Amino acid sequence: MKLIEHFDDYKMTPSNSQKHDYLRYRMGRLKHNYWLKSRKSSDTVYIDEYDKFIIDNLNPGKTCYFGSAGYYVEDIVQDLTVIEMHKIVKTFYPRAVIVQNRTEIGYLFPNTFDNFVVVNNRADMWSTLYPNADGIPSITEHFNYYIKSMRPGCNFFYSFRDTQIPNWNRIKVNHYDYFYNFAKDCKDIGLNLQWHSIQFHNGSCSMVENPDTTNGNIKFLFKLEC
Amino acid sequence: MKNIEIVKPSDAYKWAKNFKRIQDKFYDGKYKLRRLQQIEDFVKLNGFSSVYHIEETFLDLDIPKVNDIANSDLILVTHQGYSRYPLVDIIKQIKNWLTTSKHLYFCLNRHYINIDNARLNYDVPDDLQQAITFWLNTELNDCVVVDMSRNYIDLGKNFTWSCPDRHYYIRRVNEVN
Repeated sequence: MKLIEHFDDYKMTPSNSQKHDYLRYRMGRLKHNYWLKSRKSSDTVYIDEYDKFIIDNLNPGKTCYFGSAGYYVEDIVQDLTVIEMHKIVKTFYPRAVIVQNRTEIGYLFPNTFDNFVVVNNRADMWSTLYPNADGIPSITEHFNYYIKSMRPGCNFFYSFRDTQIPNWNRIKVNHYDYFYNFAKDCKDIGLNLQWHSIQFHNGSCSMVENPDTTNGNIKFLFKLEC
Repeated sequence: MKNIEIVKPSDAYKWAKNFKRIQDKFYDGKYKLRRLQQIEDFVKLNGFSSVYHIEETFLDLDIPKVNDIANSDLILVTHQGYSRYPLVDIIKQIKNWLTTSKHLYFCLNRHYINIDNARLNYDVPDDLQQAITFWLNTELNDCVVVDMSRNYIDLGKNFTWSCPDRHYYIRRVNEVN
């Protein structure tokens, strides 16, 4: 029996079934459940309050959902492009565009979208906020890839969970300032903060995590400079 | 266009209890998390025979368990929910456990620590891992706190959601038996 510490210490069983790939995909994408529920209804789409906020604030034009199981809004968002990083999505949603890495987004859709939406994307987790010397991916770098596919004035909805941002000191640093200042600093890459919601646990003695683990408790709406 | 119906967001913890068992299926069953072996070795090598295990995610540990906390000689906590307590309540809970049992093996998920953004009235080390240990030592000054964790940058590939990453042995001072 080999003792392991890290995901890469032992080789995962080669994926030889769609069931395996689907299970792995679904475990990390809570919004997929909305799609499963909505497709059983001929006249209703099930979304949550944050989805409604996004839909109410979309610019007219083309919308991209990246890494967010965005096919669940297909029936209520016009001119929708769903981009995912997992091939398995193509098997149940053939219209999905599959990319291997974020650089392909701007290559396939240069200067294209009027709205760009990323909701608690599992692939963006475990990225630091700012570029760093440790070789850890950063959200700032991800943003720079996303921006390449945005048109000037594009609305960029981005949300995530503070508990899945690595390498910061949760005891020492003021959480609110840490994330709010990051959002303000995005002005340096052309993203102007229009709206934000940063919510934390209410301090009661409970096992509940921060609010909204589905969409992420930290939500930003940016507008790309014209 | 279809009608829109607003629903409450899904429960992120839907998979929690069976998370590790599902994760195990992605491998061929010939590996074991070192952290779990560490717990089993700790119990065995220190001669604990009645472990009250408070768990959330099923870990399938090979340890001698009891169902009554009052009859235990060690309380083992791998339930990540306690990591989501506010700092002050984690300390209260530890003290409460130590009124029942002399020995505590407590696992914390670093990513949940200080869930409500509370401020301490003293400084802590810059490194979160060291800060957690410093905080426990400071708040539990009537206890022996032994940090048995390995330090590393966690980028989500260390099975932290199967078994929390920070491991502490805690007992009250002068209570060794």
